[in-house]
Amino acid sequence: MLEIKDITKQFSSGGGEVMAVDKASLSVGAGKFVSIIGKSGSGKSTLLAILGALDKPTSGSIVVDGRDITQLPDRELIKYRRATIGFVFQSYNLIPNLTALQNVMLPMEFNHQSRTSRHARAIKLLNEVGLAGDKQDRRPAKLSGGEQQRVAIARALANKPKLILADEPTGNLDSATGKVIFDLLHKLTRTEGTTIIVVTHDLAIAGKTDQTFLLRDGKLLSRKT
Amino acid sequence: MSAILRGVRNTFRNSIRTISVVIILGLSIGLALTMLVSRQAVGDKIASVKSSIANVITVSPAGARGFAGGGEPLTTTQMTQIQNQAHVTAVTETLTDRLDASGTNLQSAITAGSLGRRFAGGGNGEGAGGGTSGAAGGTAPTTFTPPIIVIGTNDPASAQSLAGGAGGGGSVSLTSGKLFDGTVDAQDAVVGKDLATKNNLTLNSTFTAYSTTFTVVGIYDAGNTFSNSSVIMSLPTVQRLSGQAGDVTAAVVQVDSITNVDSVTNAIKNALGSAADVTSAQDSSAQALAPLQNIQSISLISVIGAVIAGAVIILLTMLMIVRERRREIGVLKAIGAGNLTIMWQFISEAITFTLISLVIGLGIGVAGAEPVTRALVSTSSNSSSSGGGAAGTRGGFGGGAAGRFLNSNSNLRNIHAAVSWQILLWGLLAAIVIAVVGSAIPALFIAKVRPAEVMRSE
Repeated sequence: MLEIKDITKQFSSGGGEVMAVDKASLSVGAGKFVSIIGKSGSGKSTLLAILGALDKPTSGSIVVDGRDITQLPDRELIKYRRATIGFVFQSYNLIPNLTALQNVMLPMEFNHQSRTSRHARAIKLLNEVGLAGDKQDRRPAKLSGGEQQRVAIARALANKPKLILADEPTGNLDSATGKVIFDLLHKLTRTEGTTIIVVTHDLAIAGKTDQTFLLRDGKLLSRKT
Repeated sequence: MSAILRGVRNTFRNSIRTISVVIILGLSIGLALTMLVSRQAVGDKIASVKSSIANVITVSPAGARGFAGGGEPLTTTQMTQIQNQAHVTAVTETLTDRLDASGTNLQSAITAGSLGRRFAGGGNGEGAGGGTSGAAGGTAPTTFTPPIIVIGTNDPASAQSLAGGAGGGGSVSLTSGKLFDGTVDAQDAVVGKDLATKNNLTLNSTFTAYSTTFTVVGIYDAGNTFSNSSVIMSLPTVQRLSGQAGDVTAAVVQVDSITNVDSVTNAIKNALGSAADVTSAQDSSAQALAPLQNIQSISLISVIGAVIAGAVIILLTMLMIVRERRREIGVLKAIGAGNLTIMWQFISEAITFTLISLVIGLGIGVAGAEPVTRALVSTSSNSSSSGGGAAGTRGGFGGGAAGRFLNSNSNLRNIHAAVSWQILLWGLLAAIVIAVVGSAIPALFIAKVRPAEVMRSE
């Protein structure tokens, strides 16, 4: 499903060059739950941004379903992100003045779905992630961290993406809530057949995924398959 | 919820900022509207003044006005030269003469009074007296009677016959009878209503002038005592009987368009040289209208300034908002929004800011237009008067309608500024221009925000 080859990402910083990702390669099959672990500053988020077409690599290729996304023009990259990728962020990144329901409907609006169908699917998704009733009409500020992350997961699933990229999805949550969120993501790989790549430094979570990669000084090392 | 609706909702995300921006922008739009209304009101007044002036040029012998001054009369050749100028549609020629008791059996309707007696011996007053019946200079005869003014004209139907000939002008109407053909030598006359009353003249009455019997074919009312004490005859008749064959003492030239008045004035000046004084009503009106035209310029500059200020306000506001929401823009891009969608969201936010401000600005414009316009006109007129605005005072020399209009400074000040639908549409257009210009640069910033921005704090 996803294959990256010799991805490098180089930044200019403080007058010198920083190699954030150094010839990273990995291959992930469809429906797999993969974790990437590493210390802070090891390049995890940079790698995730490259995988999600949020950033372009300095060199290397990323092949998703036989298509090298590093070669796509910007317009195609927008379509790629919209249709193929779902993002879950550590700090949720919900739009503050929209309700939970409206946040989930947003990616479907960008995907030109009708209002009726996106409304129905948003309610279904929120129910699936365990946010039911009047909480769906609350703004993010009126929801707990765990509830916000559920909304973020529902939003990531809105356009039925093949790949969900989660950046420290439990980083801001207590351990019990973190476990619930992790289980939710894990369940998705089974029920929806979605490939999930989670960046985390929580080894307990990493231990429960199908594959784990260690990112150290920009180099990607396979730990468990 | 569409991008446009999200933009509208976003306007109210920070109420303090929204109120501040809307008030400042409202003031800016209000100023623009006020100045726009002032500009239109002043423009309407200028147009009204210009249209009231009419497209006429007055030609008189150099150094002469009415019966004042001196010089040589205009000639038939000169009249032909005038007639042949491009854009000239008509030339009303007049020859004025005065008859005392020995030349007519008519009695003047004007009492001499102390003003008439001043010039009784000198003969240098404009239509007031002097001449043959007056005693020699210096002495004020108590028996002095003002002479009868005779106006010979080739176009008795034209109000300019009186305006140019008798020096009074005004709106002339035939109260009874008919006019005569001004180009035919005949013993028909139209008399002023005061002269008719004084001499018991009615239609078909006769009187004697130049030892000839004339029949009253019409009675006119010019609205003023001086003009209503005159007699109008055909031009060839007066030229023959007064022994001034081919002479003309004034000509009023009608031009096809007000825009051609200046060029025709210059052409006549060139053709007649120093033999004639050529003046157009526009000459005197231009000076009187200069303050209003200054207000127009000031208003225009203020409108442009206020619109630019508004655009800068909304530009800075939107720049601040875009900077604040870089991460949110990154999120929108990450979940599949295109640049255009996000730009529309922010443009609609800017338009909402501007439209709310427009409502406030309208209130300011409606409330402020009249007093601001009055203040501008008053200040401008005062400074003009103190600077010696002489235009009005020259009206009496045959300038006709313009002269009288410009005599009344209060008429120029009497400007009514009202917010019209046209102004509202201009205001709306200005608001949209402000919003679009103000959000154009922020939109470019939006396009440059990288979607990876969303990962910055992760």
